[in-house]
Amino acid sequence: MAIEIPKSLDQLPTTRPRYVGRGIRRVEDVGLLTGRVEFVDDVVLPRMLHCAILRSPLPHARITGVDTQAAEALEGVTAVVTGEDARRWSLPAQSSPEGWGTHCIAGDKVHYVGEPVAAVAASSRRVAEDALELIEVDYEPFEAVADPFEAMKPESPRVLDAQETNVMLDRVFTWGDVDGAFADAAHVFQEKFRWNRLGANPTETFGCISEWDPMSLDLTIHGSIQSPGMFGLGRAATFGLPSNKVNIISHPHGGSFGGKGGTRGCDISCLLSRKVGGRPVKWIEDRGEYLLSGGGQAWDRHYEVALALDAQGIVTGLKVGLVDDLGATGEAYGAISAAKPLAAFTGPYTIPVAQYDLKLVATNKLPCGPYRGMGPPPHFFVLEQMMDIAARSLGEDPAEFRRKNFIPADQFPYTIPSGNEYDSGNYGEVLDQVLALSDYSAMRAAQAEARAEGRLVGVGVASAIEPGVFDWNAYAIVGMPGTGVPEGATVNIDILGNATVRVGFSLEGQGQYTLITQLVADYFGYEPEDVRVVQLDTQSAPPSFGPGGSRLGVAITGAVLGACERIREKMARVVAVLMQSEAENIEFMDGKFMLKGAPGAEMTVAEVAGTMLARSDLLPPDIDPRPEATHVWTAAGRTPADEQGRAKSYLTAAHAVHIVQVEIDAETGMVEIQRYCLADDCGTRLNPDTVEGQTEGSVVQGIGAALLEEYVYDEGAQPLTTSFMDYLMPTVFDAPKIEMVAVVTPSPFTPLGAKGCGEGAIHTTPAAVMCAINDALAPLGTSAREVPASPMRLWKLISEARNRASDESNDD
Amino acid sequence: MKPAPFEYVAPSTISGVLEILGQNDPDEVKLMAGGQSLMPLLNMRLSRPALVIDLGKVADLDFIRETDEGVVIGAMTSKRAVEDSELILREHPLLWESTVAIGHPPIRNRGTVGGSMAQADPASEYPAVALVLGAELVAVSARGERTIPADDFFVTFLTTCLEPDEVLTEIRIPRLAPRSGWAFQEVARRHGDFAIVGATATLRLEAGVVVDPRIAVFGVADRALRFSAAESLLTGQAASDEMIDEVASQAAAAVEDPLEDAHASADYRRHLAGVLVGRVLREAAVRAAEASTGA
Ligand SMILES: Cc1cc2nc3c(=O)[nH]c(=O)nc-3n(C[C@H](O)[C@H](O)[C@H](O)COP(=O)(O)OP(=O)(O)OC[C@H]3O[C@@H](n4cnc5c(N)ncnc54)[C@H](O)[C@@H]3O)c2cc1C
Repeated sequence: MAIEIPKSLDQLPTTRPRYVGRGIRRVEDVGLLTGRVEFVDDVVLPRMLHCAILRSPLPHARITGVDTQAAEALEGVTAVVTGEDARRWSLPAQSSPEGWGTHCIAGDKVHYVGEPVAAVAASSRRVAEDALELIEVDYEPFEAVADPFEAMKPESPRVLDAQETNVMLDRVFTWGDVDGAFADAAHVFQEKFRWNRLGANPTETFGCISEWDPMSLDLTIHGSIQSPGMFGLGRAATFGLPSNKVNIISHPHGGSFGGKGGTRGCDISCLLSRKVGGRPVKWIEDRGEYLLSGGGQAWDRHYEVALALDAQGIVTGLKVGLVDDLGATGEAYGAISAAKPLAAFTGPYTIPVAQYDLKLVATNKLPCGPYRGMGPPPHFFVLEQMMDIAARSLGEDPAEFRRKNFIPADQFPYTIPSGNEYDSGNYGEVLDQVLALSDYSAMRAAQAEARAEGRLVGVGVASAIEPGVFDWNAYAIVGMPGTGVPEGATVNIDILGNATVRVGFSLEGQGQYTLITQLVADYFGYEPEDVRVVQLDTQSAPPSFGPGGSRLGVAITGAVLGACERIREKMARVVAVLMQSEAENIEFMDGKFMLKGAPGAEMTVAEVAGTMLARSDLLPPDIDPRPEATHVWTAAGRTPADEQGRAKSYLTAAHAVHIVQVEIDAETGMVEIQRYCLADDCGTRLNPDTVEGQTEGSVVQGIGAALLEEYVYDEGAQPLTTSFMDYLMPTVFDAPKIEMVAVVTPSPFTPLGAKGCGEGAIHTTPAAVMCAINDALAPLGTSAREVPASPMRLWKLISEARNRASDESNDD
Repeated sequence: MKPAPFEYVAPSTISGVLEILGQNDPDEVKLMAGGQSLMPLLNMRLSRPALVIDLGKVADLDFIRETDEGVVIGAMTSKRAVEDSELILREHPLLWESTVAIGHPPIRNRGTVGGSMAQADPASEYPAVALVLGAELVAVSARGERTIPADDFFVTFLTTCLEPDEVLTEIRIPRLAPRSGWAFQEVARRHGDFAIVGATATLRLEAGVVVDPRIAVFGVADRALRFSAAESLLTGQAASDEMIDEVASQAAAAVEDPLEDAHASADYRRHLAGVLVGRVLREAAVRAAEASTGA
């Protein structure tokens, strides 16, 4: 029987939703705030050992010897593993593109600073670290390559022995007659940009406990794991195990933002557990390891971009050239971040044709992983700078210039040249709202006054799309196979009518358990206290990907409502039998099943559940007497990618416009954000408080990207930013007051009309802040093309511009 | 990130500390105050003492006292206590202002005044403030007590003139001369970070000219720097914009080998030193002028 999942709030079986669509107190918070939640480092298993990992101090070197004898002899040490154990018991990591993975412990050579070369299991982490100091590794250093342009040259040192080149991918994707558009253009603008490497820094780093049953060869892993199902499949592949022999128990974790990679450390703890006969081995990545060699580095990019416009200032073509430095291997799926922009390549604009010249390059740096937004934030940074360059050169206001290039509200669903379909939107309305919120014209007037005083005040307007509810097909161009990302939920009603929802992912911070509670409460006419959410391990859970790609809010809504629908349908049949009628005559509303035309003939959900569980003898024989159902939701209508990478990939397209005012101290280069305003439209807001929380956090991460965060490597590929002294995360003191307004254009394709919104503002914020900075710099005739816009970089630009100006006036 | 093994003692008197120092090779010993700099060094195994002597239980090192000459602060006084002190706010607003620029409240709760002086981080606020305020640092050892002017105390990166067996006990800060102007400014990437560069100054105005200017910067070189040539240049001059610009650029030019790191080049640091010296002199001159007319 086909299940109809409600497409809007008014289709829920309730007179008036009491919870969905409102901010309710989060069910996660009591456990988090009282410290009762069990994080992986709280877990102590019998006979557990602790792992510490020895890491390469060199970016590129042959390993000529590893002597572990002294370490093995240290009291408290149980085992040491090296590259030899990794080769004996595991396979090279899977990678994207394929063939760019290595073993979890270096064998013949090291490829980046921080690469594991050996590891110890001992009675405590401290003893394990003491033992690391006793391991002697002989290295024969090679020249390292840190610059992707150097790495592409044939004479460059080669990063991986198994490859003939450092170029992982070199392809041009063309969507439409791009040459024609540029040939016919009235204006063409071209510019280069640099986005420096940065990334996720969750409060909690990665951690795991691995336990290898030596009899059955079953592998059980506890961990702070973002996507337990995927993680289990990856471990099975690495250890050549059938996937049903790997069980992942994910614990609540302190954020991820894509940074919970951790696969190498986890695989190493698995090797150690195997070597010590199956004792559990705990590995907790410390912050030093995380910053040096964890899952938190992404987007190390060099762009060259061109925009074509017609005489009316309508953008008619876009060319993006990207050289993406992925670091030493493809194991951390950094390549996906280069593919995802296809889901929103032309942003919110009607740009009809586009081209992507994509080069993925290996260097002797840490392999890049995913980060919140997964690639589009730098893409929108360059697109929005180009929009400003065009608007400034044509003398147009940046807000109005964007408006006339927006996809009109009546053209949705709208297919963009790179193949994805945007579900819905009202971009002009979003712009209007943020113009009003910011009092844009007053802001411009104040800016003019400040400029007259010689102050560098700028206003930035930027607009971007947040692709939501990802599908693997979006990443076909970097070798990710398949289509379809399922999320399942099992809803069970007990004999007293209480509801338990079982899912396959754990707490990460976004509040999905609260959302599930809201949905079930409104569906069955319950209070939040009547609903319990439970997480299952991967061998017991329904299919699940978990959070990622701005998907889980929408996907779990589909799964939970689908399961609720199935229960309703089953219960309606039971009620029909009990009331001696037909299921079509049974209506369900506000938690009650009612017989049509028979006032007073009604049963509550609890009564039906109690009857089903206690009196199965009364039920028709073809009815399963458990008031329980599982629904597995996946986005409908996703298409396989064509040869140019085009597919219906991400299901939803949320939209935002941000307006930012900054002032630059011309003498120091310091940027002060004076106002931050935004309007966004992510369809139906299932929990507006959650959306606002996600938005605020994402704005702050975007500010970090624009102004602060950068993993710096020197020319020899040595990392220079290996602690929080040097890798600068924004703190609460760096966060401006964020003024927000919402526009709601429901998605026609999703449960309740909600769109993905978890990654959110980071798509727009770096662009908006950089637009504001460049607006401030405009009177000097200079502009910033590199992110982050550090005070030193801005000071250099400003002083060079002033020197040029004074040279010119001297020449006169 | 676990420290290498070490022994730990927490004596309750200064003589107890000196006795333990006497029984051990002082080069193998580390004194611990608030631990805010030492603990990270231990955890990263960059410092590997055999013995850590915790000063936290030593009596009579945690105080702020007013004397005839000024203010005396015990080495183990927390920055938070300085921040909360009415006396400091009234007598030494410059010290107060530099205190709240140090890290964040949890760091100031634990970090001590003596620890910052002894740590001698080149980007630290307190050494520069000690220079312009003419502070004296008192140290004891088995050999007795000595008083060291701030000008002699800070030697280079993380190095003071303290001998390994000496313990810093107090910092004496003379009262600012009446009608002094003062200022403190720093440029840091984020609120609470160690500064890229900071500057501080005090001066007086008498009959329209600058008297006894003191100028120091931090974050620029291997230690906090005082600029005596620039100070002499300014002495006896009107605090005009031109004069201050000249003094600032002289100070910037006087920095030898500015520091360089991932966030700031040597050029940028030198430039900032000039900008900030100019800014603190202007601000100090305004305060001095207000103090003169107010009086
Ligand atoms: C996140 C963070 C941000 C920070 N930001 C700043 C900042 O902006 N500005 C700044 O100045 N500091 C900053 N600090 C450092 C902080 O101020 C430290 O507290 C200070 O540097 C050392 O003080 P402590 O009491 O913690 O000393 P400890 O760390 O205990 O000791 C530091 C050193 O001084 C020696 N020592 C301590 N007391 C004595 C004594 N009485 N006699 C002889 N030797 C002694 C110790 O042996 C050790 O070598 C920051 C620290 C952190 C963790």
